[in-house]
Amino acid sequence: MNISAKEWFKSGSPWVWLNAGAVAISIIMVIGLLGLIAVRGLSHFWPADIVQGTYTIDGQSKKVIGEIVETHEVLTEQLIEAGIKIPDDNEFSIRHLLKIGNRDVNGTDFTWALEHYFEDQTRPVMLFTAERREWGNLYGYLRSLKESGKEISHYDGYEQSPEYMAMWDELDKRVERALRIHEDILKIEKHEIGSINYELERLRLKERGLQLKHVEDPAAYEAINQRRKQLDADYEGLQQRLLDLYTEINRDSLTAEVAGGQIVEVQLAKIVRIFRPNAMGIGQKMVHYAEKLWEFVSDEPREANTEGGIFPAIFGTVMMVLLMSLLVTPFGVIAAVYLREYAKQGFITRLIRIAVNNLAGVPSIVYGVFGLGFFVYFLGGNIDDLFFQAAKPAPTFGTPGLMWASLTLALLTVPVVIVATEEGLSRIPRAVREGSLALGATKFETLMKVVLPMASPAMMTGVILAIARAAGEVAPLMLVGVVKLAPSLPLDGNYPFIHLDQKFMHLGFHIYDVGFQSPNVEAARPLVYATALLLVLVIALLNMSAIAIRNHLREKYKALEM
Amino acid sequence: MTMEAKTHSIDISALQRQNQSLRLEDETIALTVRDLELYYGEKRALHGINMDIPQNRVTAFIGPSGCGKSTLLRCFNRMNDLVDSCRIEGQMSLYGNNIYERGVDVADLRRRVGMVFQKPNPFPKSIYENVAYGLRIQGINKKRTIDETVEWALKSAALWDEVKDRLHESALGMSGGQQQRLVIARTIAVKPEVLLLDEPASALDPISTLKIEELINELKKDFTIVIVTHNMQQAARVSDYTAFMYMGDLIEFGVTDHLFTNPAKKQTEDYITGRYG
Repeated sequence: MNISAKEWFKSGSPWVWLNAGAVAISIIMVIGLLGLIAVRGLSHFWPADIVQGTYTIDGQSKKVIGEIVETHEVLTEQLIEAGIKIPDDNEFSIRHLLKIGNRDVNGTDFTWALEHYFEDQTRPVMLFTAERREWGNLYGYLRSLKESGKEISHYDGYEQSPEYMAMWDELDKRVERALRIHEDILKIEKHEIGSINYELERLRLKERGLQLKHVEDPAAYEAINQRRKQLDADYEGLQQRLLDLYTEINRDSLTAEVAGGQIVEVQLAKIVRIFRPNAMGIGQKMVHYAEKLWEFVSDEPREANTEGGIFPAIFGTVMMVLLMSLLVTPFGVIAAVYLREYAKQGFITRLIRIAVNNLAGVPSIVYGVFGLGFFVYFLGGNIDDLFFQAAKPAPTFGTPGLMWASLTLALLTVPVVIVATEEGLSRIPRAVREGSLALGATKFETLMKVVLPMASPAMMTGVILAIARAAGEVAPLMLVGVVKLAPSLPLDGNYPFIHLDQKFMHLGFHIYDVGFQSPNVEAARPLVYATALLLVLVIALLNMSAIAIRNHLREKYKALEM
Repeated sequence: MTMEAKTHSIDISALQRQNQSLRLEDETIALTVRDLELYYGEKRALHGINMDIPQNRVTAFIGPSGCGKSTLLRCFNRMNDLVDSCRIEGQMSLYGNNIYERGVDVADLRRRVGMVFQKPNPFPKSIYENVAYGLRIQGINKKRTIDETVEWALKSAALWDEVKDRLHESALGMSGGQQQRLVIARTIAVKPEVLLLDEPASALDPISTLKIEELINELKKDFTIVIVTHNMQQAARVSDYTAFMYMGDLIEFGVTDHLFTNPAKKQTEDYITGRYG
């Protein structure tokens, strides 16, 4: 096997290697990217052990309790230069990022600790974590359980005992109860009172509308007042029930000894979840992990988006993309049909095509600015003047919202749909069109009954590309409707059910917000990865459904082999 | 052309048919063509064609490729309107009504003058929906009427027995010959007066071709048929009248038997005996 370099080059194998190499690099990069965000994001939900130890630095020692979140090696020299006294017998020193929680006591959630000074490390099974709705996690030893301020059980030791376990089980039950009550409260506050408020607001607008129209008939106002009185009565009833529930939920509390020996009292009403990671087996940890993951995708965010879930953001993203598809498809298809089927082919159509293609290259933020100026202020402002006079001076559509965001993105993606549809139309065999025309169908009938159905897979290709582009877009949305925290979903049980004027949350913006605008950077960082992973998954899912529809259509209208 | 010239030899038995005594003077005329000139841009493709096409007869157009026979055929249902650069002068009428007059409803004309193309072009729909297409276009939506017409059309196109159990399957799963008969069924379902066949068997195998030819023989009882064919034997077998065209001119038009056995023009004789190449 003695092949000269020249012959080897002529054989074409370098070319094959080059191509295969390019493909391999692309695949590795994609897998690497997904792998990185998956590992970084998903490991956040794993219940790590709680470590207890003594941290002695500069002669001062303090007890530390916390989760080790990150560990890395730093150059010892670097630490010494920074003024930290550390023996230089090792080139590298180990440094941990500890999540110490108890923000109400410590003022911060995280701290750095050098392994060298972190002594007597133990993992006592008695240590427990309480996830709270405020002030982040609590780490410590359970000391007592209180009902209506009176202590019902107490334990002082650091070793596990049946007595302690009984208290723990009791706590578990009471937390469960508090959670159930909390759910009821949420239901009343969010849904029942929410819809009463919504209707009251509509009544107010109706009344204002009547006033603006100078309706004098007292009967009309009377009806509104009647309904308002009824709603007020309903509201009173709910308020009473809420008060009762609040007394119920505030009944129990616990006290815990945190690092440093301080005793902290926490109301069970403020607790989301309690667990003892050091006592959990791998199976229990996995269950816990699954629960946390589910909370992440199905729940609402807490604590400035650094805790809880991101369901509203997923919902907003999907909703906005679907709405955008609904808007862009007819618009793009109709434009493409005109350009390809009706317009006289010539200089002007060529010019329009070039313009359309160039539109796809305009930076998206420019669309955002246009959307804000044209849709929000001009269109929205005029709509408010015409139809929502009663709500003024508060804007209804004259402010960024779901509809304007969808429209802006529809505008951004319309070139792709036009190009793909035109491509599809040009591929319909002439023979099939002639076949339809020869049966006495007009051009319009031929288009509607034969050509457009056959071109539908191509349209779907356009929609797929549009979805891929729109779902990942963030910049224009910041101008036309996305917010950090939306109080309610744009789809709910209050008539007219879909609220196009509402602002919404979006995964892409959520990543930006959590990553760059968060007050608690260390807590937010893993969520950036997890949210990014979720965004990728949501886009993949949206795309895959569109591809499934396209394959179905392709099968149905597969082109003739001509 | 060389291919045909080599294989060509007139089958005399095919010519010895009953209609020996056909005479154009005795026929009812369906289509008349007077001084028809057709231009593609600057190029003149048809030169002053004059012709009478008799009702309920099969008229064949023969001639070498590019002689304008398909172009002429496509004038009868104004299919040439689809070509931007195409311009027509002269007159063409269906039962005395000029089809190129202003205000003629082209869709209605095409319903009355149906057309079958060279390659089968079924729609990507079910067999049933293909045949029902023309009816639905006309606004007929009564299921019974459509059912009956579909059955009648498929029977007329000698396809019923083969497809009656799979009417709602896609038409694209049929063989080429079946597809072409489906297209014929689809065309006759709207009950046109004239049937234009543009080389309907050229993409088919011999057995399918035979079936189509038998079908043409059957269909002429109800329709006036004009067929363009490359195959002179086919013209001789199926047609009553034949027109020979060459370079955009109508050279000779007459009773098929007569034209094939006793051509009046030298060019016709050269062509049918295979001397063109």
